[in-house]
Amino acid sequence: MTSVKRSETRIPPGLATLVLALLAWEALSLFFPPVIFPGPWTLLERMVAIYSDPASYAVIGQTLLRIFEGFAISMLAGTAFGIVMGLKRDVEIFFDTWIMVLLTVPAVCWAFLSVLWFGISDAAPILTIVLIVFPFVVINIWEGTKAMDKELLEMGSVYRADRRLMFRKVIIPQLMPYIFSSLRIALSLSWKIALVAEAFGAGNGIGQELINWFQDTRVDMMLAWGVSFMIVMVLIDLLAFRLWARRVFAWRPQLAT
Amino acid sequence: METAHVGSQPTVGPGPVLSSAVTVRNLSKGFSKPGTDTHFTVLDDISLSVEEGKFVSIVGPSGCGKSTLLNIIAGIEPYDGGSVEVSPRRGTPTHEPRIGYVFQSPRLLNWLTVAGNIEFALEAQNVPRPQWRERITRQLAMVGLGGQERNYPLKLSGGMQQRVAIARALAIEPDILLMDEPFSHLDAITARKMRFDLMDILAKAKPTILFVTHDLAEAVFLSDRIYMMKINPARIFREVAIDCPRPRKPEDPGLLDLEKDLVREFFGVLEGTRR
Amino acid sequence: MTSSVHSVGLRTGSVVALLLLWWIAAKLMHDPDVLPSPAAIAVTIAQDFVDPGPTGHSATFHVALTLARIFAAFAASMLAGIAIGLAMGRNRVVEGALLAVIPLMLTMPTILMVFLAVMWFGFSEAGGLIAVMAVVTPYVAVNIFEGAKAMDKSLIDMGVAFKAQHSLLIRKVYLPQLMPYIFSAFRYAFGMTWKIVALAETFGLKFGIGYMFFFWFEQFNMVQVLAWIVMFVVLMLVLEHGLFARLESRAFAWRGAIAH
Repeated sequence: MTSVKRSETRIPPGLATLVLALLAWEALSLFFPPVIFPGPWTLLERMVAIYSDPASYAVIGQTLLRIFEGFAISMLAGTAFGIVMGLKRDVEIFFDTWIMVLLTVPAVCWAFLSVLWFGISDAAPILTIVLIVFPFVVINIWEGTKAMDKELLEMGSVYRADRRLMFRKVIIPQLMPYIFSSLRIALSLSWKIALVAEAFGAGNGIGQELINWFQDTRVDMMLAWGVSFMIVMVLIDLLAFRLWARRVFAWRPQLAT
Repeated sequence: METAHVGSQPTVGPGPVLSSAVTVRNLSKGFSKPGTDTHFTVLDDISLSVEEGKFVSIVGPSGCGKSTLLNIIAGIEPYDGGSVEVSPRRGTPTHEPRIGYVFQSPRLLNWLTVAGNIEFALEAQNVPRPQWRERITRQLAMVGLGGQERNYPLKLSGGMQQRVAIARALAIEPDILLMDEPFSHLDAITARKMRFDLMDILAKAKPTILFVTHDLAEAVFLSDRIYMMKINPARIFREVAIDCPRPRKPEDPGLLDLEKDLVREFFGVLEGTRR
Repeated sequence: MTSSVHSVGLRTGSVVALLLLWWIAAKLMHDPDVLPSPAAIAVTIAQDFVDPGPTGHSATFHVALTLARIFAAFAASMLAGIAIGLAMGRNRVVEGALLAVIPLMLTMPTILMVFLAVMWFGFSEAGGLIAVMAVVTPYVAVNIFEGAKAMDKSLIDMGVAFKAQHSLLIRKVYLPQLMPYIFSAFRYAFGMTWKIVALAETFGLKFGIGYMFFFWFEQFNMVQVLAWIVMFVVLMLVLEHGLFARLESRAFAWRGAIAH
């Protein structure tokens, strides 16, 4: 009988490490009470409890709404401002100190100030998000604008393309990679800051849940809220941006990020 | 101005008065380094003209003068003294001069298709949309890229990309086609083919061309007239008419003789052994 | 010359405009609880340095404490990160193990890390230190890992062929090649570190600038909150731009004409 050599099934190493890590975690957690050091199973149970409760969705919705508003304002204002800074040298020199100062103030300080100004409200976390994300977007887009191919702008000038046409077909396409990376960074920052901001003064939202459970010393509930939200945001990042990037960058010879 | 005759045909009579598409008179441009007292002249008293339908070359060493001159004619760089005039083609109503420009590198918008790139120029020049399709098809056929409308530039070779740039320039039906060393970045074989193809285009479309190059042989092969230029500062020191019927063969002995003489003179002046 | 005078002029004008805007807005608001004038802030800052205030310690103490925490946490995170990154670069097993965990740690929100560290290690210096390290070390490790992967193997082989001692190899072959990666991680890590220290001080550590933010926030004392924020921002700006700019040019002298 001829024996056919069977190809070995290879488990991807990443998956193996992940499974081992989960098992190690579960084992470790057995030494501690679940409210202090929950294992993966406990965490899963808590998450299911949260997501089967309809009231949770109001909380999550609050947070998502604030994130979206802060993110949108930062992107729109940041992109416009970044482009102006990249194109006009005087504007750049004038405002770069302001942007630097904005970047230096920690999120927690803006969170405090926003609450002192607007009280416990929606405006406070949204303002906090904008104050932090806006400078990041400005810097990214600003850099992108300065990195544009001047020869292409010159070509457009020779053919007498007007401002609108230049923007549509020469400037924005060159900025797309920067706009993209800004979108990803901005979203990632926005949700993390939303949590900090809500912890201090929104009255509700996931950040509020985190600080409540922190004060009750319930690591399990805190992690359940935190980790599940993390997973949601990571999924959004992966799905939205990967898929979209493929279409936008189809003209490149190799597959874009 | 001397006329160098090649071949047995002398010029006959004064000929019809051709209108000048481009007239440059006593053009000068200087540049000051900010904060210092140094001032250097980039262009020194340049005068030249290009008649409609003719191919005129400027031959000179690589450097900032030649491109600056073209940019000034194209209207995207300011100048200090003298005048520049670009006239619309005879028979067309007065309009803003339409400048076609082919650069050393293709300068295509890589995120647009070949057709999209030509459309960009057409849109910029306010050509009515219904005319676009026809113009694009015609020009791409003219440069030998028929059927390539939907390809993206990065999928094309350097030579093909440069052809798209030429098609783009011709599609707007320019009053003057400026070409800044358009074949210098291509390999010798492709460049040679491009020159022949340019000759074909000349015969069919009869554009007015101002061509800049550092390659004297190329200029002699392609042009009706040559201006020789030295740089730092840029100054024209010689004007020669090339009177040889087209289509020309680059190995034509008459042409090669002429070239030899001109080469001697050109490098002589540049290297300071002649005035 | 004229153009740099122009830019210096614009920059000064910008700072002046900022202060002016603030002063005008403060005047218009009339309410020191919403926007105190720059003058009031300056006075408060001066007072805080002189007067021990309700905590029994003057600003000098708090600032020094925060700085100490920042430098300790930063140093620890950088060293740990470099060691881990190098280990990952040289050993596939380590690489495989950590590569699964690190992206997770990088995505976790800082506030969650701070809460966890404080809950598990208490309201103590250890808690604060661990909070910073949990966020910054993975970042540094990934950066150094990239650098380790990109190192020129032929140089290492040359060193081994000459039978160089391990410490010599590290000093003269590894480190110079890793310097650009170390440096870029450096600036970002420092930026992250002081923000996390500020956050940790707010939630769990005793005394320090962050502690004072929260203290005055709870009292709704806008003047003090702003005073401490200004102190912090100025301090960080001086550190980031004064110190690092200088260090950077010295560290890269060997690269010669290669632009940064």
